[in-house]
Amino acid sequence: MNYETQVMLEISFEADEFYPQAAALGSHAAEALKDKHRSQLTGLENIAESAFKISDIMDYIKKQTARFSHWRHTLVRGENPQQGFGERLRAYLENDLAQRRDAVCGRLQIGDSTYQDKQKRRRIYLLLIRQFIRSMVVEYEYAVSAEKNERKER
Amino acid sequence: MPTHTQLQKIWLLSDTVLYGEAVAFMRHLVRDQGCNPLPASQVNGLLSIAESQRYDKLYEFVVHQRDRDWQPGKRDIKTFYAALEETLTNMQKRLRSDFHLLGGPRKSGGQDEADEQELMALLAREFIQHLVAENGLLAIRPEGRQQAPRNQQASRYQQQTGPAHHSQHRQTGGRHGN
Repeated sequence: MNYETQVMLEISFEADEFYPQAAALGSHAAEALKDKHRSQLTGLENIAESAFKISDIMDYIKKQTARFSHWRHTLVRGENPQQGFGERLRAYLENDLAQRRDAVCGRLQIGDSTYQDKQKRRRIYLLLIRQFIRSMVVEYEYAVSAEKNERKER
Repeated sequence: MPTHTQLQKIWLLSDTVLYGEAVAFMRHLVRDQGCNPLPASQVNGLLSIAESQRYDKLYEFVVHQRDRDWQPGKRDIKTFYAALEETLTNMQKRLRSDFHLLGGPRKSGGQDEADEQELMALLAREFIQHLVAENGLLAIRPEGRQQAPRNQQASRYQQQTGPAHHSQHRQTGGRHGN
């Protein structure tokens, strides 16, 4: 199996593994941003898809969190009720997803000392983040449209 | 113009080094030294200069802001620019040694200096963008909104010029690098 196929398989495997967390954050986004601020989430998705740097995505999340109160919306019930949507997303990407990157790199035997390995690690991290955000946005879309339909039926 | 290889190196540095250092820089000022986050007017000014100007103009601006006679209520701004100036000067030294963006010993004048200026503009822009993002986040957090006692602030400038200041930056920061 060539390297690219191996990478794609690893990302798909991790996508299945982190799906529950992506869905949970998508639901949190639906409650925080509602249908009204859809463009902010699609904006995040566009940035993630086009960014050359992971830090561009992190900076965008930070800026949105600082700028808009809905990005700081906390859930009444949940794993961490004090954490707003933006902080929760950033913490997941910076901590949990970084651990998943380490696991993927371990399985693909990518080290962290040579320049080439560092670039490979960065690319895998970027691919994981993109996949996570895609899944989160799908869940967000599903949740807001379900809520919209419910409102129409009432 | 930086080469594609140089740009790829800068993206890697931005993600694995500069992001963490910018986060540590801001947290050190706000949490450890009790400074207020930078106000919006300063953020906008710094960001627009970092994005549009040459490095020498950006450095000039930072030094000018550092050397201004700020009123007592705005001494934190002076502290910020003093620390930023020190970081940028250090970053320029690291272009060859740590970052390996340029090869060979430094020659003054000509193409070598122009390349250095161009690369520094890109690195400084990355660093400042990360600073500004972290600054915004600190501004909405309770620790960022508190006003530090003035007597703490008087000695900050001297404290920051010590060598411990930089080493502290590098030891802390975001963990998403590498």
